[in-house]
Amino acid sequence: MSATAKLRTEVLVIGGGSTGLGVVRDAAMRGFSTVLVDRGDLATGTTGRFHGLLHSGGRYVVKDPKAAEECIHENWILRKIAADCIEDTGGLFVTTPVDDPTYADTFADACRAVGIPVEEIPVSEALRREPRLNPGISRAFTVPDGSVDSWKTVWACARSAESYGARILPYHEVLRLIVEGGVMKGAIVVDHRSGEEVQIDADFVVNASGAWAGRIAAMAGCEVTVFPGKGIMVAMSHRLVDTVINRCAMPSDGDIIVPARAVSVIGTTDVKVADPDHWEITREEVQKMLDAGENLVPGFRSARALRVWGGVRPLYQEKAAGADTRDVTRAHALLNHRTRDGVERFVTITGGKFCTFRLMAEETMDAVCAELGIERPCRTADEPLPDSESRRYYWLGSRVAQREETLHTDQLICECEFVTRSDLETALRRRGTTSLDDIRRMVRLGMGPCQGGFCIFRATGIMHELQKTPVHVANRALLDFVQERWKGVQPILYGDQLRQTRLDEWIFQGILDVGHLPGDESRSAKPEKVTT
Amino acid sequence: MKSDAVVVGAGLSGLVAALRLAEGGLKTTLVAQGVGSTHLSPASIDVLGYTPELVESPAGALPAFRTEHPEHPYACLSLELIEESVAWFRERTEILGYTGSLEENLLVPTAAGVPAPTAIVPASMAAGDLRSGGHFAFVGLRAMKSFHPAYLAENLVQAKLPSGAAVEARAVLVSDPGVEPDVGALDYARAFEDPAFRRAVASELKVHLQPGESVGFPAVLGLDRHAEVRRELEDALERPVFEVPGLPPSVPGIRLFRALRAAFRRAGGRWVMGAMVVGASTSDGSVTSLSVRAAASRTSAYEGRWFVLATGGFASGALHLDSYGEVRETVFGLPVWGVPPVEEPRFLPGVFDDHPMAKAGLAVDERLRPLGPDGAAAFDNLFAAGAVLAGAEPWRERSGNGLALATGFAAASHILEDAS
Repeated sequence: MSATAKLRTEVLVIGGGSTGLGVVRDAAMRGFSTVLVDRGDLATGTTGRFHGLLHSGGRYVVKDPKAAEECIHENWILRKIAADCIEDTGGLFVTTPVDDPTYADTFADACRAVGIPVEEIPVSEALRREPRLNPGISRAFTVPDGSVDSWKTVWACARSAESYGARILPYHEVLRLIVEGGVMKGAIVVDHRSGEEVQIDADFVVNASGAWAGRIAAMAGCEVTVFPGKGIMVAMSHRLVDTVINRCAMPSDGDIIVPARAVSVIGTTDVKVADPDHWEITREEVQKMLDAGENLVPGFRSARALRVWGGVRPLYQEKAAGADTRDVTRAHALLNHRTRDGVERFVTITGGKFCTFRLMAEETMDAVCAELGIERPCRTADEPLPDSESRRYYWLGSRVAQREETLHTDQLICECEFVTRSDLETALRRRGTTSLDDIRRMVRLGMGPCQGGFCIFRATGIMHELQKTPVHVANRALLDFVQERWKGVQPILYGDQLRQTRLDEWIFQGILDVGHLPGDESRSAKPEKVTT
Repeated sequence: MKSDAVVVGAGLSGLVAALRLAEGGLKTTLVAQGVGSTHLSPASIDVLGYTPELVESPAGALPAFRTEHPEHPYACLSLELIEESVAWFRERTEILGYTGSLEENLLVPTAAGVPAPTAIVPASMAAGDLRSGGHFAFVGLRAMKSFHPAYLAENLVQAKLPSGAAVEARAVLVSDPGVEPDVGALDYARAFEDPAFRRAVASELKVHLQPGESVGFPAVLGLDRHAEVRRELEDALERPVFEVPGLPPSVPGIRLFRALRAAFRRAGGRWVMGAMVVGASTSDGSVTSLSVRAAASRTSAYEGRWFVLATGGFASGALHLDSYGEVRETVFGLPVWGVPPVEEPRFLPGVFDDHPMAKAGLAVDERLRPLGPDGAAAFDNLFAAGAVLAGAEPWRERSGNGLALATGFAAASHILEDAS
């Protein structure tokens, strides 16, 4: 079948997570014409599904010093270029009663060896800073951990890349790679919103599809083994802690709480799964997280759990490994398919962590330049991302401050997350989507305590009015978003969040009776493209 | 403090039980943490709307429904009693002019544009009845973010009514100048009580209306002076005007709450708000008193001969599920029926699935007394009403306010029998 549309670019990037966006920005800033495609929206894979830790490197410093060194290196750079996406919470490593007390000295020595600023503080001082911490802790160390908003970072990279001429194409899934005579020539992709196939001719293809990298590489006949390592996170309402709290121990399940905006996120687990698209969150995993939280912050179980989610880490290892994915290195892997598999003009970048996405992109584009025999320096470490030019960190009150400015001129559509009508309309216009979930990732619609109980209906009405969305499409958007919100609360329904959910049911079923909306019964998985 | 009867909870079932007890001559105290379901709900009395097929006649559908759902609270109530409760309610809420009957459900539009079945509605919603179709204009107020008339109207015109009649509907927007950009339902309700405001709205609206169109507003047409507001709008617009209930807070629900509270006070009832029941004293199988902690004060004992537990379900905190999966009833620690074992799923992946725990609540005997662990009434003088009861799925069945009314009424009737 011949593709109906054609695009021509120098560098085609596959994968709209942090790595792909890092690569497309890097490529665009080096002066390449470049196109990025993703089968879904940006940052819907692993990037949008982690705990939001800006690593100091402390977590891996004993087990994987190389990864730790990369973390601290990139930590400093991200603080410089992505300040608007980062809250400078600082981090603590604390020895809890269940932890091996001898680890603390090993940890501190290892931090110093790779250049992570570490300072031991008295337990009394740690408890003064974080009064909810387990009073049974025996040691405490400060490190420059932080909290980072991956969606903001990814969208800022996209805007930056676009300003250098890049084209970012979400909802474009790769169907085939075009390899001729051992040379990569591009890809055939399908635009899920129009159903149209597009042929993208490229001088070079970068596979940055993370946990899905094996599937893309296989389309060029290259065998790449990526272990998807599932980790779950639970967001607790409120800031139970204001500093990133790590257990001072070898990485294990449930050993970190990250304060993120108005919530605290506890993570995580690490379970090897067969398929990065199909896995479940089990009751046992949730219970494990809650027990772990109780160990760090006594009373954790009686706090309100808002939502649970999981993500799959792309853990790359060239040779076969056992079941424990935690033993696989967190360092990234750059595979040159010319030397490795005999396919020219094609590289895969996988493994690694969100925090090192810029470095991964830099190394990738260095390799691309080398393969093309040209020299163009990387500039991504020096130029701040859009909205981060002032180099002021995001802070907890930022959105309240913004809202106060528009108090008498704008409507608040999502009270939990301070999303105004202008924010919503701007996002709708910018994206031209009928998926409220796409809008959520841009403006945080429906992400607060009520999980969309009030704003979903309002946003549907506004979308319908603004975009002249056919009413059956608007109905589907509403129902899909209600379901999407349910997905994340269903495994942790207890206590106050159950109360909230009953109220939301009351609104959707009792007051609005959305179960009897007219319209086509079939739900499309992909939102429609609209122009406003 | 001593009373004959103590009712816990100020949702619809608690209000109904308390009023009926006070009217029945008992010295009655109503204790509640705060306002309840009335402030959330549309104020229509939904007796039975879906089984899951659309119910055209609640009176016709109830006998079979009760046989098919022996665990349902309606199974404890006779049809006569349900009818009696509705008639009683209409008399007590005369000021709100409820219309309709158990013989045939009305179909009134929700804010999403679904024709929802309901047995009786306040006068303010009556002209929105869709059973025989009609022409409707829905009014959008600029600063009202929770009401989207174009969305409503476009859904409504697709309604497939049992009568086969067609609905024509469209949106009309008014600019209501001079108000802030973000105005809530209560503030709009107060604004409509200002004659100048409603006259301005009516005159802007009038030129856009077409002959034969009835006019649906968001349910914000006045709070205490609602009758006057609607009458004046109808006069000015020369056509029927009705309200469409929407997201909380519910102005029609607040009117209902106020009407029942006023009646309760007139009947000599004692009203204690901001007070939390933290425990109970029992003796020889009877409840003797409740420990009540009022806001910022010490705990005191509320003694009584009869008690009604109208505390609501999970939404109000009357039932609590903890992080280990244990469920408890929070005042008496009564056993909760309809809870699957801890290792089994309580909720399913699809939001509208048949969730295993959806019907959890207190099981009761035929006199609405909650059962203890042995399957017999836990206490001879404790009755339960409303959403705390097991066996119903109020939203899916569209039975919430009907159940609250009938069980609150029935609990009070059983107590009055005992008292006489």
